Amino acid sequence: MKATQVLVPVASGIALGALLLPGTALADTTVSPSTTPVGGTVVLTATNCNPNSGDAIFHVTGPDRDQNVRSTTAAASGGLSAELFTAGFTLGTYTVAATCGDGTPDGSATFTVTPIGGAQAGGRDGTGGGGTLAVGATLLVTSLGGAVILARRRRHAAQAATL
Amino acid sequence: MRGLGRLLVTLLAVAGLALVGVGLARLPARPPQPDGTGPPPQLVTAPSLPPLLRADPVEVRIPRIGVRAPLVPVAADRAGALEVPPLDRPGVAGWYRPGVSPGESGNAVLVGHVDAPDGPAVFFELGRLRPGDTVHIARADATVVRFAVDAVEAYPKESFPTDLVYGPGTAAGLRLITCGGRFDQGSGEYVDNVIVFATRTA
Repeated sequence: MKATQVLVPVASGIALGALLLPGTALADTTVSPSTTPVGGTVVLTATNCNPNSGDAIFHVTGPDRDQNVRSTTAAASGGLSAELFTAGFTLGTYTVAATCGDGTPDGSATFTVTPIGGAQAGGRDGTGGGGTLAVGATLLVTSLGGAVILARRRRHAAQAATL
Repeated sequence: MRGLGRLLVTLLAVAGLALVGVGLARLPARPPQPDGTGPPPQLVTAPSLPPLLRADPVEVRIPRIGVRAPLVPVAADRAGALEVPPLDRPGVAGWYRPGVSPGESGNAVLVGHVDAPDGPAVFFELGRLRPGDTVHIARADATVVRFAVDAVEAYPKESFPTDLVYGPGTAAGLRLITCGGRFDQGSGEYVDNVIVFATRTA
C-alpha cells in the first residue's frame, strides 16, 4: 500500500474534525436575556473561562458603543459573568466577545436593545360622541319629565272643571 | 303659560333627539379583533430563502384589508417607547429603523395607528387578517418582498412580547403592530396591542 493511499483519508479526517470542532468548543459566550428593553440588564457569561486565570473581559460593540466590561462574579454554571445595564444604549443589536484572563478568546454572542413596552398606536378622541350622547339623553329625560308634569296639570284642571 | 311649557318641552325633546343622533354618529367604530387562530408564532417553520441586503422599505400593501400606505422611519421616543407616525398623517405607517429591513434575516417591525380623532387609521383592520393572508413591502432598491401571515394575536401592553417582536431570527420575518382591545376612557388608550406575525415567502 502506498503512503499516499493512507495519508489522504487521514488528512481528510483531520480537516473534517477541524471544521466541526470550533462549532462545539468555541461558542461559549452567552447573553441572557438575548433581548432587553432599553434600561434593562443583561448578564454576560464566558462559560469556558477559568476564574483562577483572572477576570474575563467582555468587549461590547454596537450602534454607538465600543466598551470593555470586566467580569465580576464566578457564574453558578461555570465560567465568569458580569451584569451590563443598558440605560442610555442606542436601540439595536450588540455583539459581545469574551476573552479569558489568560488571554484566550471565549467566543461571542449578540443581544438586542429594544423599545420599552408596547406601542401607543391609538389616536382616537377619548370622549368620542359619548359626551354629546349623554347631554342629549339628559335633555330627552328632562323633556319627558316636563311632559309628564304638563299632562298631570291638564288632568287636574279637567277634574276641577267637572266638579 | 301652559303654551310656554309645551314649547319648552318640545324644544328640549328636539334638542335632546338631535344631540343623541349626533352622539351616536360620533361614537368611534371598534376595530376588529384577532380570533387567536393560527399556530403560535414561535412554532412557525420558515421557508429557506436567501436573505436580502438592507434597503429601506417605502410602502406596505395588504390586499386583504385594502391597505396601501407609505412608510416612514421610526425609533423610540425619549421615554424609550416605540415611536408611531404623527397623528396628523393617520394613513402613514412606520418602519422601526434600528431593526432589520424587510427581507433581511430577523424580524422587521412596522407600526401604525388603529385610529385617529377623525376615524379609522392605516392599521384599523389589522385584526381581520388571518393566516395565509399576504403582505407586500416595496423597498427603496426596487424589490418587493412578499410575506405570508402566520398568526394574529392581541397582547396586553404591559406584557408585550418583546422577544417575539424584536428578537433575532434566522429567517426573514415581519411584525405589524397596532392598538386593539378595550379602549380605556381613563387613560385615553387601548389596553392591548394587536400583532401580526408574518414570514417571507418570496
